[in-house]
Amino acid sequence: MKRTVIPFGPQHPVLPEPIVLDLILEDEKVVDAIPTIGYIHRGLEAMVERVEYTEMGFVVERICGICSFMHGMGYCLALESIMNVEVPDRARWLRIIWAETSRIQSHLLWLGLGADAFGFENLFMHCWRMREEILDIFEKTTGGRIIHSVNRIGGVKRDISDSELVAIVAKLDELGKAFDKTARVFASDASIRHRLSGVGVLSMEEARAVDAVGPMARASGVRLDTRLTGQNLYDQLEFEPVLETAGDCLARVVVRMREVRQSIDLIHQMVEKMPKGEGLPLETKVRGMPSGETFTRLEQPRGEVVYYVKANGTKYLERFRARTPTFANVPAMIKLVKGCDLADVPNIILTIDPCISCTER
Amino acid sequence: MDKESFLTRVGEYQKGGWRLALINATTVPAADEATPGVFEVTWAFAKDLEFETIRETINQADAVPSVSDFFGAAFLYENEIRELFGIDVTGLGLDLKGQLYKTATRIPFAHSAVKARIEAAAAAAAASAKKA
Repeated sequence: MKRTVIPFGPQHPVLPEPIVLDLILEDEKVVDAIPTIGYIHRGLEAMVERVEYTEMGFVVERICGICSFMHGMGYCLALESIMNVEVPDRARWLRIIWAETSRIQSHLLWLGLGADAFGFENLFMHCWRMREEILDIFEKTTGGRIIHSVNRIGGVKRDISDSELVAIVAKLDELGKAFDKTARVFASDASIRHRLSGVGVLSMEEARAVDAVGPMARASGVRLDTRLTGQNLYDQLEFEPVLETAGDCLARVVVRMREVRQSIDLIHQMVEKMPKGEGLPLETKVRGMPSGETFTRLEQPRGEVVYYVKANGTKYLERFRARTPTFANVPAMIKLVKGCDLADVPNIILTIDPCISCTER
Repeated sequence: MDKESFLTRVGEYQKGGWRLALINATTVPAADEATPGVFEVTWAFAKDLEFETIRETINQADAVPSVSDFFGAAFLYENEIRELFGIDVTGLGLDLKGQLYKTATRIPFAHSAVKARIEAAAAAAAASAKKA
């Protein structure tokens, strides 16, 4: 059969950021897909050569505007590990509160984009309205809606008062109730099910074979979540990753919806368990130059991120590398696109929740 | 590197149910003018809560074998280290033929490129200090 090549991207209505897939078609079926990225490659990793390690955290935060907080946190955790810095307890709790808040805003952003892609404008508006409330929380507690710059090597820069934490939990409860209504539409609307159910199925075996991570893997029943390592105080919380087994586009939507609810519950637990009181230490002063290397893993909204840092005893790091979840999920995306109908490609790509800025650094 | 024993070790990770978490390269500059710089290449594997690595130090002209036969997702990391570091990878599962990244510098983490950037940064810092 004659083959046709259709370039998908770099600009496409469902793509918030540029990526190209050369889709090779036989009639309407995709038989192969060749990815090209690099349209927003900024060379951030190379900046370690001329940006001091104490300032590099601010660069790392700018890898991506959605995962900004957790990139900063991951960088600081890596340096703290190399320099054997003990972070004060309250700062550790504050970090994971902000991390889970980031997960909520990221999933709401994606659910809105997804709704927009399958033609449900109202859902898009509802999701993004709710996300604005999360950004308000960020603005109030960190001073920034997108780039927060509260992480420092050794702790955090700002505290959230106990009364403010109680107010945040109350606000999240309200938001959770509003979200439940929206989630019901996602889960039950016939047109959404028609577009997503049974489309882009990644079985558990396939998810393992292509090393998928995050909601992508969990929607296929793979119990993979870096928070299960118990690091960063997750061992003190009741936590079990959200799993679905269908492995299709709808399952990936459902995992993210349930994770919004789960993150609200986790923040509840965190606020209850964290040390209370005003004026508790938030930062351990760091002195000297880092020497050594480490790998750090975190569970970002899109899945596992791995940071590699190598320091050589000078103020400039020798290497900084971020392997982001979207990078790990590109092989899964190619696997899913092969064999699908051309009309399903946008939804399949979108349900991976691709973050191209993260992937390209 | 001993390619045979390396691939045997990688195969053992695959058989043991580990997943490929990362392939990373680091440009290690020469200690002096007489010695050429090398690359450190690290293959990282994860299984449940465990995380292990294989580290190889390779010369600039050396090639590393692809691990695509064991881990299908390796092609992306391997294309990346080839395009960004200039490390030759043999037997790629999917050869993107240099199309993965669009970069201003052809091989941005090649020894010569890293050296040029560091020297330029040092010169700029010196000029700025002199001006001040």
